[in-house]
Amino acid sequence: MIEMQGISRIYTREDGTPVPALRDVSFSIGRGEFVTVRGASGSGKSSLLNIIGCLDTPTAGIYRLDGEDVSGYDDEQRSTIRCRKIGFVFQSFNLLPRTTAVENVEIPALYVGGRVDRDRALDILGRVGLAERAGHFVSELSGGEQQRVAIARALMNDAPLLLADEPTGNLDSAAGESIMRLLADLHREGRTIVLVTHDDSVAAWAQRELLIRDGVIASDRQLPPLHGRAASVAAGA
Amino acid sequence: MTWRHLMRGGLRQIWRYRLRSMLVICCAALGVAGAVTSVNYASGGREQVLTRIQQLGTNLLVINAEQSRSVGGRERTGTIVTTLVEADYLALRREVEGIARSSAMVSAGLRLKAGYLSKVAPVLGVEPDFFAIKSWALASGDFFHTEDVRRSARVVLLGWQVARDLYGEENPVGERLFINRVPFEVAGVLAERGQGLDVINEDQQVYVPLTTAMRRLLDVDHYRSILLELKDSRDMVPVAADVTALLRVRHRISAFRPDDFSVGSQQDLIDTQLAAASRLGFLVRWIGFSGLVVSGLGVLAIAWISVRDRTREIGTRRALGARREDVFFQFAFEASVLATIGAGSGLGAGWLASRLAASQAQLPFIFELQNALLALGMAVVLNFVFASWPAIRAARMDPIKALRHE
Ligand SMILES: Nc1ncnc2c1ncn2[C@@H]1O[C@H](COP(=O)(O)OP(=O)(O)OP(=O)(O)O)[C@@H](O)[C@H]1O
Ligand SMILES: [Mg+2]
Repeated sequence: MIEMQGISRIYTREDGTPVPALRDVSFSIGRGEFVTVRGASGSGKSSLLNIIGCLDTPTAGIYRLDGEDVSGYDDEQRSTIRCRKIGFVFQSFNLLPRTTAVENVEIPALYVGGRVDRDRALDILGRVGLAERAGHFVSELSGGEQQRVAIARALMNDAPLLLADEPTGNLDSAAGESIMRLLADLHREGRTIVLVTHDDSVAAWAQRELLIRDGVIASDRQLPPLHGRAASVAAGA
Repeated sequence: MTWRHLMRGGLRQIWRYRLRSMLVICCAALGVAGAVTSVNYASGGREQVLTRIQQLGTNLLVINAEQSRSVGGRERTGTIVTTLVEADYLALRREVEGIARSSAMVSAGLRLKAGYLSKVAPVLGVEPDFFAIKSWALASGDFFHTEDVRRSARVVLLGWQVARDLYGEENPVGERLFINRVPFEVAGVLAERGQGLDVINEDQQVYVPLTTAMRRLLDVDHYRSILLELKDSRDMVPVAADVTALLRVRHRISAFRPDDFSVGSQQDLIDTQLAAASRLGFLVRWIGFSGLVVSGLGVLAIAWISVRDRTREIGTRRALGARREDVFFQFAFEASVLATIGAGSGLGAGWLASRLAASQAQLPFIFELQNALLALGMAVVLNFVFASWPAIRAARMDPIKALRHE
């Protein structure tokens, strides 16, 4: 699904000095994988996720998404890719204020054109356990509920790839665990998930771990299966 | 994003941020209302000037008996010129072409006495055509007629203000009035004219038949002036030349001597007044336009703040697949809906304010639809431009930075 070849991302500071955030990164992620990206603060995790999510373009290297080379795509083409293939989940939820849950879920559908399917939005909200909250304004929801609305929103266009940058960072462990359970369910349905986290117990839900250090991949290993669930049960007890 | 969604979402946002929306609407409305009101106010003023000019007559020539020394014909005070006489007048009427009506005139400030009230006022001896030329109506009573002039009848027409001063609310028609101890009968009261363009307040004068004034009051056989109404106001220059030539011959004025009379039209006065009115109109239009721009800047400021406040939203929408144009249209749509509502209500407010201003200033109420629509159109275009700028900024924003905002 994701194929990175020699990807670099070099930011330029205001004063012109270059800041290499990613250096010659190569890896691939298959369809249906559940990968966690880990590393110290400033190591380049978010930079990588932005490139995977087509929010940003690499300074050098080739990025193939579903076999399609998207590294040279312009803003509009990337928007289309984001719209159809990628679901973002943010640390700070990023729901639109003064807007109801169901309207938030509908947003991605606005940008594919055509009809916006309210029933589908309600269905998805039901799937994340918020059927009764559909008409509530965002400000009336708890953090965990808001993040579930955000996940529902990421699913609205049936995106095969979910990208989550510290989705549990603003939640307590119980809410965090329910979010991870939801992501694990979505993974089981066949969605590809890339998750950035600092939290061991959150990372443990994944199958595979990419460790980044100073913009290069320091290790890439499979995690023991079911390890995540066991860890979370232990943590919950 | 389809139009339907754009509109639904936009209207929803307008409602959710209603305080800000109201501000934009008020801003746009004030601009249009201000522009419309000031332009209409200026038009009212211009209309009033035109009405006064109509009263004054654009086709009038006045011959004054006065010695003119300077080339410009400035009046030399204190000199009584006695050379303008009936024979001249008859010759003029006989020989100069293009004169429709005329009235010879004499005048003097005399003491009026009614009962035990008395005052000094200008008394004008005129012919009946004088009132026709001035298109002057009566408030009550009757004009005097040719017959009265022939008989030197002791009848008098009162200016509106004089009637008020001497008789109060009573109707003075038929009452007795002494002018220099000579008893007159009040034939009528003239309609109110107000302050004219030429500073003379005709409401404060009284009018008697020409011959009555000359024989019974002033004991003179020369005129002070002659008022000529032309058949066509375009003949002003040739007729004035004919009159001048004729009078110079009749008065035996040799080639290098100055005239002992002046021939003037109201044209200079009219030109000055019209120029002033149009300068004012120009100024007011500019003020109105500046008001529009200022209100547009207000719209710009609020739209700018709105975009800044919603940076996160912009980043989020972009991450969820919104293209730049989607973001642009979203913000541009919201702003232009508000600006249009504002401009529309400004038009209504401007109509009301114009009415109010006109009645306050006692000007004719004029609503120049064309100008109002121009202001409306300009406001919509200006506000759209001003609101588009922040929308462009929103669209150009780097989604990653926008997401990190705050
Ligand atoms: N827009 C930018 N301009 C300049 N430097 C940047 C920019 N964005 C990120 N960087 C730098 O690139 C490096 C990697 O940043 P990145 O956000 O990817 O780190 P991260 O691993 O996500 O960190 P954290 O865990 O704190 O979120 C950092 O050194 C950061 O300062
Ligand atoms: Mg980060």
